[in-house]
Amino acid sequence: MNDLIKKVTQLLDDKTINVFIGYGQGTASRIRTIFVKNSSQVENLVYTSDCTANLAGYLLKHEVKKIGKLGILANDSALRSMMQLASEFQIKDGEVYVLHAAKDGSFTEFADFQSIEAYLVTIDTGITSDEQERIAKLEAMTVKERWIFWNKEFEKCIKCYACRAACPMCYCHRCTTDVNQPQWIPVASHEQGNLDYHLMRAMHLAGRCVNCGECANACPMDIPLNLLTYQLIAPIRTTFDATAGMKADAVYALSTFKPDDKENFII
Amino acid sequence: MSRIGVFVCHCGENISATVDCEKVARISGELKGVEFSADYKYMCSDPGQTMLKDAIREHKLDGVVVAACSPRMHEPTFRNACAEAGLNPYLCEMSNIREHCSWVHPKSDLTTDKAESLVRVMVEKVKKNKALNSIKVPVTRTALVIGGGVAGIQAALDIANCGHKVVMVEKLPSIGGHMSQLSETFPTLDCSQCILTPRMVEVAQHPNITLYTYAEVESVDGFIGNFKVKVRKKSKSLDEHLCTGCGLCTTKCPQKKIPNEFERGLGFRPAIYVPFPQAVPNKPVIDRENCTYYIKGKCKVCEIVCPTKAIRFDQEDEIVEVDCGAIVLATGFDVLKPDFFPEYGYGKYKDVIDGLQFERLASASGPTQGMIRRPSDGEIPKKIVFVACAGSRDPAKGIEYCSKICCMYTAKHAMLYKHKVHDGTPYVFYMDIRAGGKNYEEFVRRAIVEDETHYVRGRVSTIYEKNGKLIVKGVDTLMGAQPVEIEADMVVLATAGVANKGSEELAQTVHVSYDAHKFFAEAHPKLKPVETNTAGIFLAGACQAPKDIPESVAAASGAAVKVAALFSNDLLTREPLIAVVNRQAPPVYSSCVGCFLCQSVCPYQAIEREEIKNRNGEVIRTLAKVNEGLCQGCGTCVALCRTKAIDIYGYSNQQVYSEIMALLND
Repeated sequence: MNDLIKKVTQLLDDKTINVFIGYGQGTASRIRTIFVKNSSQVENLVYTSDCTANLAGYLLKHEVKKIGKLGILANDSALRSMMQLASEFQIKDGEVYVLHAAKDGSFTEFADFQSIEAYLVTIDTGITSDEQERIAKLEAMTVKERWIFWNKEFEKCIKCYACRAACPMCYCHRCTTDVNQPQWIPVASHEQGNLDYHLMRAMHLAGRCVNCGECANACPMDIPLNLLTYQLIAPIRTTFDATAGMKADAVYALSTFKPDDKENFII
Repeated sequence: MSRIGVFVCHCGENISATVDCEKVARISGELKGVEFSADYKYMCSDPGQTMLKDAIREHKLDGVVVAACSPRMHEPTFRNACAEAGLNPYLCEMSNIREHCSWVHPKSDLTTDKAESLVRVMVEKVKKNKALNSIKVPVTRTALVIGGGVAGIQAALDIANCGHKVVMVEKLPSIGGHMSQLSETFPTLDCSQCILTPRMVEVAQHPNITLYTYAEVESVDGFIGNFKVKVRKKSKSLDEHLCTGCGLCTTKCPQKKIPNEFERGLGFRPAIYVPFPQAVPNKPVIDRENCTYYIKGKCKVCEIVCPTKAIRFDQEDEIVEVDCGAIVLATGFDVLKPDFFPEYGYGKYKDVIDGLQFERLASASGPTQGMIRRPSDGEIPKKIVFVACAGSRDPAKGIEYCSKICCMYTAKHAMLYKHKVHDGTPYVFYMDIRAGGKNYEEFVRRAIVEDETHYVRGRVSTIYEKNGKLIVKGVDTLMGAQPVEIEADMVVLATAGVANKGSEELAQTVHVSYDAHKFFAEAHPKLKPVETNTAGIFLAGACQAPKDIPESVAAASGAAVKVAALFSNDLLTREPLIAVVNRQAPPVYSSCVGCFLCQSVCPYQAIEREEIKNRNGEVIRTLAKVNEGLCQGCGTCVALCRTKAIDIYGYSNQQVYSEIMALLND
């Protein structure tokens, strides 16, 4: 922890960065994101086992970007998000100072994308046993049961768009949801509109989602949205041997064609 | 409020027989925004078009819906008519109430209802149409001909004789294709080489033709009028400028037992070789897979004997970039592989050969100097069986089509055999004799009557060897399915013509479509037989389907005319139905976020990057931009764009959405 504080103080003092995105103490016992802009605020940084949020989403927010050069405390998910964002030309190598927070509480500096990529191949990109269990339950359902399950979940949605705001990959300035000529997605939070919105979002994340789970964590109505996006991660991995957020110069599995691509999904 | 005109065509009785056209016009006239509606017997006729033009002027129409046939048929007709009346042609849309309605439904109120719906949908679309201007792009007046067989040669010569540059790419060391392997040609029995080789030489000597042999197309970028092609010139291990073609190296090469591809394995060749004596260019190449030097690291006999020191062992493949305005595909066909017929013993019995091998046996320049000698012991076969439809017309084996040339060449083979072996007896097993073509039927009659060929209508079930004879077991269906057994000395299989090896990969490289049998697909089976669905790419010869020589040559000349027509203009006019990335006033600039997934998905490399700079010249945004010349309007980028920043002129999201809503809100 002292290492972190020392490092961030130094970075801010020598103007390597203008703001550091890290974790701080929120109300009650909650952890929140804080933006450390000068060394007097450094003491607010915390790092505990509760600090699991993927902070990469803030890197593209206009309000954050305009502060200046960014530093970020990145967990594994954040690193993968950054790689995916880089492959979509949203961040450039060297643009962001990256301090990696490992699960054991140690901090490592990543100088460039190459070192991040080298690290990412060593980690487990699979899902947790808890998630696995929930997905198995979903997959065991009949199509009709699953349809009822999701409709029931989406019924809860209040269209607050917290999932969209939390997702590092939802960086469009104008979301399809906000397009009104034509109005693709109904605005009101009724059953049909909610279904349209969530399916649209899931499709837009196909092959791009790194399964950080921020959407589900952000949801005030506890809709397990990450299960929806996971349903698109697995088939893309098995069909095209592609995993999002592993390489900064990766090509998107769904926009490229290889003659030896499997065609078993064509009926 | 729109002022749209709806014109309902009866198409004679094609539409009016099942659709109440008057009612469609009446109901459409009541739609919101429709100012004028009428029906007429033939809208595409002169009076019909005049009616449309008059209505545009008289009622000051700002949009037109013609409810008639497919837009593939008459959209240009009506758009031109609109333009003549002063209306932007892209404000005119076709509603297809013929193919999509009258032709596929019986006469009923429901059919009329559907026609009304189709018109209503188009009226909603036209309300959102925008006036567009056609795009002009320059044309590079060079044609690329891929394949140097008779079709490629014909196309290249025709285009070159029109005064345009041609680049011909042939993957083998010599041009000539399958025709150079043939002995004589039906139905005139004139020598194949005698008519082909002068044309091969003409190609080599033509000032407008650049010939790349032993070369393959690596990639094709660009679009009609402006293709950029990368051609890989495989290393011949030879300096072609120094080589005089004396052939000394080929006689001294220690490798002498390599099966000769040109002789279909009936003869041998060395590792440094010229495919056949009349080859163009008549210069050798080293087959690196079989060359002693490349296998063992030493030999170099050819280098030692070469009088002009032309051998280059370290020569590497060269990539040549060709800018061309049109491409002619003339990559030809192949014959079915022998393992297709285990029951006929091809490959197991030396004296069961295919038609092309027989051509080599009958050829004066072939391995037997034109004597019909069987491969096993060199004896002259006294009884020979020709099996037509070996593979063709056999759905069970996956080739349901007729290979078209086999009936004729089998008759020719029987005749050639009889002319060379007077006391021999030729048998032909056939399913039907298909001899449609000028002088074709007469030719087959000659084989049967004058040359006493025994035609047996039936199929061969099996061929096996017994006491040095090939026992051919079949059936004669004209004799009440009576079993037939012939003790033959040699059997010739008229194997099916199939798509050339690598045609699928080539189709993907060149971006043309192909059919289930991997033959290249024409744009329209009747009206666009030499065009492909990719503008500027044409087909010639048997790469499209099995074809005989006259047909291949005719198709090649057809393709050449298409190319010449394309090259007759300085500028090419293109439809403006292309993608566009939206632009807005600062500070928004565009809803594009610059993820450039559109760039990776675009099959035409039409997406560019545009940097938006502030007054200090700093890049503040990088946005996608569509190159108007390259975009073909396929819409793949539109489908992939998450933020809906891309749209297509003429088929915008709003237009399509309006169409769907018009149907759903009925």
